[in-house]
Amino acid sequence: MAYQPPKQGLVGQVFDVITLLVLTVGALYLPLYLGFAGAAKTPNPIPNPTWEALGQNATEAKQWAAIGITDPAAANDIITARFDYSFSWAPLIVMAVLVIGYFVLVVRLSDREYREVIEERFDPKRR
Amino acid sequence: MANVTATAPATERLQLLRVLGPAHIWALGVGIVLVGEYMGWNFSVGKGGMIAGLAACWVAGLLYTCVAMIDSEVTSTIAAAGGQYAQAKHIVGPLMAFNVGLFLVMAYTMLEAANAITVGYLLDTVAGMMGHTGLNQKPFIILSIMFLAWLNFRGVLATLTFNLVITAIAFLAIIALFISVQLGVSAVPMDFSAITTAPLPYGWIGIVAALHFGLWYYLGIEGTCQAAEEVRSPARSLPYGTMAGIMTLLIAATMTWYVCSGLLPWEYLGQAGTPLFDAARVTGSAGLMVLLFVGTMFSTLASANGCINDASRAWFSMGRDRYLPSWFGAVHPVYRTPYRSIVFLVPIALIFALGAPLDQVVTFSILSGLLGYTFMTFNMVMFRRKWPLDTIKRGYVHPLHPLPVIVLLTLCAAAYFAVFLGYGTQLSAMMCFYIVASLWFHFRRYRFVRRGDQFTMPWPKPAGY
Amino acid sequence: MDIWNILEYVAWALSAMFGALMLINLIRIDTTYDNELLTSSREGEIEVTAERHQI
Repeated sequence: MAYQPPKQGLVGQVFDVITLLVLTVGALYLPLYLGFAGAAKTPNPIPNPTWEALGQNATEAKQWAAIGITDPAAANDIITARFDYSFSWAPLIVMAVLVIGYFVLVVRLSDREYREVIEERFDPKRR
Repeated sequence: MANVTATAPATERLQLLRVLGPAHIWALGVGIVLVGEYMGWNFSVGKGGMIAGLAACWVAGLLYTCVAMIDSEVTSTIAAAGGQYAQAKHIVGPLMAFNVGLFLVMAYTMLEAANAITVGYLLDTVAGMMGHTGLNQKPFIILSIMFLAWLNFRGVLATLTFNLVITAIAFLAIIALFISVQLGVSAVPMDFSAITTAPLPYGWIGIVAALHFGLWYYLGIEGTCQAAEEVRSPARSLPYGTMAGIMTLLIAATMTWYVCSGLLPWEYLGQAGTPLFDAARVTGSAGLMVLLFVGTMFSTLASANGCINDASRAWFSMGRDRYLPSWFGAVHPVYRTPYRSIVFLVPIALIFALGAPLDQVVTFSILSGLLGYTFMTFNMVMFRRKWPLDTIKRGYVHPLHPLPVIVLLTLCAAAYFAVFLGYGTQLSAMMCFYIVASLWFHFRRYRFVRRGDQFTMPWPKPAGY
Repeated sequence: MDIWNILEYVAWALSAMFGALMLINLIRIDTTYDNELLTSSREGEIEVTAERHQI
């Protein structure tokens, strides 16, 4: 006998949608609110900046001027900002476990559901 | 609107309208992605320097060539509006399908939000250049989303024909800029001295880190599959449109890198909001500036347009199978679009477009895409195992299997590491989201789903079951 | 009050208009047609009618 799902009422439908929405918005905004988010570049401005001191040649200085930045001091932060790529292994391992664990979990649970689907779909008694 | 003439037939069932050709598929694929050339890709230069930017461009190009090949084979065989969602449902299983559906909706809705943010930012820049400070960007962000949602609501043919036109113009704008600069139109000469003076400011790890935003050159090309139920001949048009799309993008991406790296100091390029438009400003030619402004506007609109199209198809398919409330599985009786899904996703896109910073939204979108590509690797292996080549007819068979799968998986792993460098917290938050959502689906939502009915393809029983 | 201020108001107005057009149409369709008909689309119908997967 094929599985007969219950019929879902309007309230249940709305509830399910809200659950998903809360999850989604939460996943995006929680890291933002907790202040974990973002790989901010840190500027290391140099004193008395000139184009030469900032490592910009004459052509590059012209290019800066063309996009509206004529004063080297204004470009100081942009030019000296660098990312910090030093990382520790612990969070990397946590991340790897999360990603791999997630895929293993999903594929295994899927397979359980899939067998049920195939059984019902290709059951000669039902067709 | 050309396509509202079709009215609901007297039959009992409403289906999506099958009106699209290969050119529309190209427009959908390239339209979503081309905006990546106009904004976003250049953060890869910021993350690793100019050489790393180019390396990321080509490595990501290789990754996406694998994606396009794998996807073409599966999707030319499973032609359904859900695209990868329907593939997962038939090949891996329901929970995987639910997750893939979420990847699609998230990746596209976030990308749509990023596009709308860019429209607002660009108008603000232009207003600033014309002497108006403090432009309120919100109405323009909202308008772009509302207008495109309305267009999608009204019918797929008009939507994608519109996309074809504006995408073609945006693509030609890049070529025009490239040729003009070659002919010496620019007031300031090209300068590649940074390649020798600061070849790899972060060392080799910069190349890996750059891959994070290198994906942005091509992200979304796989969205062509979502049009499967609306294409006149899916088995032919989908592989053709997708492959033509990836070739277009490889050309556009390389030209973009060349022009922007030559005309902009890499430190500026690495954090620019609209790099191609800025490059046009450097040339000092008013004509090019207007052209690239139009190109940027059109590419963002084309992308948002394609995203609304794809996200709503995925949401609709999940509703139709009751993975989500069945209310969403409705087709408009006149326009034949998944109208409820389109309307529902509007406020969601607005929440992200108005509330979150651009790089966060972009990262969320990239991560969802990346999870989807990881899925494609084992999906392909399982597809060939469960239905070997001689059991079902495929519209397209990709060569050299399993080499593309191995390459894709390796590159995905590198991309995860690249995202981890700097955005590790988001990645973990996102994995937690998908794990919680999966448990919710498996233990609560799945009881509303009919079991056998989910398998809709007229295929033989899979091997091993 | 320059051109950009006017454009802001125009954008607000157009957004409201497109939003209203969609919502009104959605409500009209939902009240006119039977929900069973609207949600009658099924995956794989094309496969059955148009494409054969036999070699």
